[in-house]
Amino acid sequence: MPQAPLASKDGSLFRQVLKCYETKQYKKGLKAAEQILRKNPKHGETLAMKGLITNSLGRTEEAFAIAKEALRHDMKSHVCWHVYGLLYRSEKNFEESIKAYKMALRFEPESQQILRDLALLQVQMRDYPGYVESRGKILQGRPQLRQNWTGLAVAYHLAGSYAEAENVLKKYEETLKNPPSKGDIEHSEACLYRNVVIAESGDIARALEHLESIAKVSLDKISVMEYRADYLLRLDRKEEAEKAYRALLERNSEKRQYYNGLEQSIGIDPEDRKPMKAIYDEFAEKNPRSDAPRRIPLDFLEGEDFKQAADVYLQKLLKKGVPSTFANIKALYAGTAKRETILELVEGYLASMGTEEAPTNGETNGNKPKPSDFKLWTLYFLTQHYDHYRTRNTTKASEYLNRALELSPGTVELHMTQARIYKHSGDLQKAMEKMNQARELDTKDRYINTKCAKYQLRNDRNEDALKTMSLFTRFLTKRNGVKNDAHGGPLGDLLEMQCVWFITEDGESYLRQGNLGLALKRFHAMLKIFDDWTEDQFDFHSFSLRKGQIRAYVTMLRWEDTLRSHPFFVRAALGAIKVYTMLHDRPHLAHSLLSNGNGEGPDFEGMSPADRKKALKKAKREQQKAQDKAAELAAKAKEDKAKNAQVASADGEMKKEDTDPLGISLAQTKEPLEVAMKFLTPLLELSSKRVEVQCAGFDVYLRRKKWLLALKCLIAAREIEKENPVVHEQTIRFRRAVDSLAEEDVKEPSREVLTAELETILPKETDLKSYNEEFLNSHKDSPQHVRGALRARHLLSPEDANIAGELANTLSLAHLSLKEAIEGQTLLKDLKADNKDYNQKASEKFPDAAAFQTAA
Amino acid sequence: MDIRVLQPSDIPHVQLANITNLPENYFCKYYLYHALSWPQLSYVAVDLSHSSGSPGEPPKIVGYVLAKMEEEPTDGVQHGHITSLSVMRTHRRLGLAEKLMRQSQKAMVEAFGAKYVSLHVRVSNKAALHLYRDTLQFEVDKVEDKYYADGENAYSMRKDLTFLEEVESESEGEGEGKAEDVGIDGDVPKGGEKKKKKSGMKKFKLGRALGVADLQEVDGRAA
Ligand SMILES: CC(C)(COP(=O)(O)OP(=O)(O)OC[C@H]1O[C@@H](n2cnc3c(N)ncnc32)[C@H](O)[C@@H]1OP(=O)(O)O)[C@@H](O)C(=O)NCCC(=O)NCCS
Repeated sequence: MPQAPLASKDGSLFRQVLKCYETKQYKKGLKAAEQILRKNPKHGETLAMKGLITNSLGRTEEAFAIAKEALRHDMKSHVCWHVYGLLYRSEKNFEESIKAYKMALRFEPESQQILRDLALLQVQMRDYPGYVESRGKILQGRPQLRQNWTGLAVAYHLAGSYAEAENVLKKYEETLKNPPSKGDIEHSEACLYRNVVIAESGDIARALEHLESIAKVSLDKISVMEYRADYLLRLDRKEEAEKAYRALLERNSEKRQYYNGLEQSIGIDPEDRKPMKAIYDEFAEKNPRSDAPRRIPLDFLEGEDFKQAADVYLQKLLKKGVPSTFANIKALYAGTAKRETILELVEGYLASMGTEEAPTNGETNGNKPKPSDFKLWTLYFLTQHYDHYRTRNTTKASEYLNRALELSPGTVELHMTQARIYKHSGDLQKAMEKMNQARELDTKDRYINTKCAKYQLRNDRNEDALKTMSLFTRFLTKRNGVKNDAHGGPLGDLLEMQCVWFITEDGESYLRQGNLGLALKRFHAMLKIFDDWTEDQFDFHSFSLRKGQIRAYVTMLRWEDTLRSHPFFVRAALGAIKVYTMLHDRPHLAHSLLSNGNGEGPDFEGMSPADRKKALKKAKREQQKAQDKAAELAAKAKEDKAKNAQVASADGEMKKEDTDPLGISLAQTKEPLEVAMKFLTPLLELSSKRVEVQCAGFDVYLRRKKWLLALKCLIAAREIEKENPVVHEQTIRFRRAVDSLAEEDVKEPSREVLTAELETILPKETDLKSYNEEFLNSHKDSPQHVRGALRARHLLSPEDANIAGELANTLSLAHLSLKEAIEGQTLLKDLKADNKDYNQKASEKFPDAAAFQTAA
Repeated sequence: MDIRVLQPSDIPHVQLANITNLPENYFCKYYLYHALSWPQLSYVAVDLSHSSGSPGEPPKIVGYVLAKMEEEPTDGVQHGHITSLSVMRTHRRLGLAEKLMRQSQKAMVEAFGAKYVSLHVRVSNKAALHLYRDTLQFEVDKVEDKYYADGENAYSMRKDLTFLEEVESESEGEGEGKAEDVGIDGDVPKGGEKKKKKSGMKKFKLGRALGVADLQEVDGRAA
């Protein structure tokens, strides 16, 4: 039995409570609720509302206690259950929340409010059958609203029931008495949505027919044109398709997809696209400012044809003075012939210009003509050519750059490129300094500011980088003359503005320096950003139905489904997993917070037990100090914040304080591998085709002694890239691990699967050493394969591995890049092998690279 | 470099381009808000030569225009607004910004019956001023004092778009007489409808967890 209703005076007080809650007058609402409770202390629904308001005031635990009490007094009240569900929802425990809503609906099956709340969670959780059901009930209750019809259609569509989805949309259209006005965007979108549903169901012919019937009322002209062209092509109605793609190109001549469609409808052989040249010329002529029809033919033309077209293209851009010319054509550098032709052409321009424009003897008279842009950008082009990794020649690059600088010493691009050349030679310090000079030439441009900060991070100058960034973040810029850094300063702003590049680079830099706490801190910030992006869709489940832009909404949902396949996530997650495996292998690393500049904390392993104890103690003390200092800063920031009322967020929600700004607690976790799963699980789910993801999975599962899961990763990795050097090493590592498994480590039937599967990959009787040497011999020319084999060799016979000697051979490989050379150095460090000779030889090959000079 | 409509999946890279190029930044949700309210209006420039990597690799965005319709135009005239526009320095002077803007403007007229488009620009931003005034024929409407957080003034600029309506009616074919006028007029929300939309918007909370205040602060502010 539900509770007896309140007396009329209390009844109106209760309505006041509801109203106060809706209008966010929490204090007032709480007072009213308490007034009711004084007389009716066991009134469940009032208690429930009190709980809800308490939660809004940020006292979650208390709120739950009150809500539970409410339920105890009134188990059959939909209000009490609804509130219980809302509390869980605010805690993001959607499963419990759904359960509570469903209970509430038992007692009030038609409540639109509860049905809507339930539906929102169902679609957020991708419970499509449940969503269909709730949407159906909502429509039943309120069939007069178009958005409720659309809502049900979307539910069917997402659940894969195309016919039902279309049917619902159609039914609503049939209820319309008058045709909607021509400017009705909601109607236009609903029609186009229906069209997409038809097309996705696979019935292209009908989709086309329907499209033509709505084309006139559709306000999104481009979509109509694109769909039409696509359908026609898929229906093999080539002539009409050609017309449709031509119409699209009239509107936008900068979209490759249209040209592809045009080529297909004309029936151009993808292997012989030369006949298309005339058509591209036609579009080029029609659109004098258009790039695509001029640039695309360079992809498929060859020989003399290519040379001619490239000549026209390059001259046009260089004469106009487009600094980004090289960026536009460098994709062509994959082919030797083309890049040689390009070089020949551009050198030719320079030769024909002569030298008259260079101010030869210092001072120039005041009315010297502006140096020719053509010459300047030609020199700049040649600089970039010789700095490109396929055609790198640092000396020549610098020569051309200096000539360009003589012409125009103030051009920022030139200085930026100089910084890049330094970076490519491995001199990160100089690169950073040069980029800072470039920045100073144009302090109003954030792009160059960003570059400068990035170069500082690459050189592990984290604080300098942040300072640079702060020139453009919101909270250090003066506002009304007051310096305002209450939100956690520039870093707080960068986190808030989801500045993923900085957070990731900062984390990677700390990882390089061995500051695992801050590395984890940043990688977790990335995790949080992606969680926020998942949550961001929540409001749009209702918003979009109101706005009526359904196609965009569905596209968004699908994107959210695979959100964590994004390289921004993958990169940060792989970084985090690396840190966690390091922490598992060497827990003391959690204490080497204070990096000593060469990428290593104190070398605990090399110490005697007594020394180690002392050193650890010292490290912990230093950590404590750092933590205290950070806490102090945080406290101060909080104080400032209190003083500065305008910063308090608008709906009174308090931001939780960061109690671990240095990531010390993160790094000291007792279960690093379990935490690593937060990063690993989405990777394995969404990026399973990346070999590095499978390798990371193997690393974690092997350490967690999840043999079958490790095996699964290994098999997947071998399918992607069997000869991958990491996979090779992991295969051997796994064989060894499995061979030494005790009876009780793995039980049947898992054991049998494990043994049988592994047998097909690497049979038990294989001589691992010669297996490894074979791999090494067949990949002698690839530095990364040599490294993989050497890691395996070290594993198999740590004593006589001759790692350093073998690795030094890779330095003689002509194509060895600086990056690879540094990775070799890292390997030696990891294996604690002697690296003197290696560094010596490497520094001869890369004389400017700092890495080989400072490392001992 | 391709020019095409912005998709939700572009947002992380658009956000990256924005925070790389401009001091006025927004969280993901604000981009979503644009992409899901006026999906026809925002455009991106994509460097296709970059996406040759692994499958599913998102394309590299080198420029974007983030645009909207003014929800409650104070002058009662339907018009578009440029929230943000930028191009990576490595890809400037290729004509990308101009093309992005032109595509967006056309869509504003077609899909939402915009009569004009407005924007704000720093008075010191020479490149952008050239682009708006000389290339795109915007006009300065007024100067907004201390519009930017650092105290710089903004030009409030606008460009009449009615010339695009005519182009549209021409290409749309004969036989409809003056139908295009009806179309454009029909787009102006009727009294009741407008009210409904308004209350809808009020309820809708967009400011991430940060609250609506943050949103309003950036809302309506151009790059
Ligand atoms: C402003 C900006 C978007 C221009 O992008 P862009 O793609 O280089 O511009 P376009 O190539 O389309 O230029 C079109 C026209 O704008 C003008 N223009 C662009 N950059 C210019 C510059 N640096 N100096 C003078 N005029 C310039 C020119 O008239 C140009 O036409 P032209 O090439 O035929 O001479 C870009 O410089 C940028 O992103 N800047 C930083 C962010 C910013 O300021 N955004 C605008 C905020 S309101």
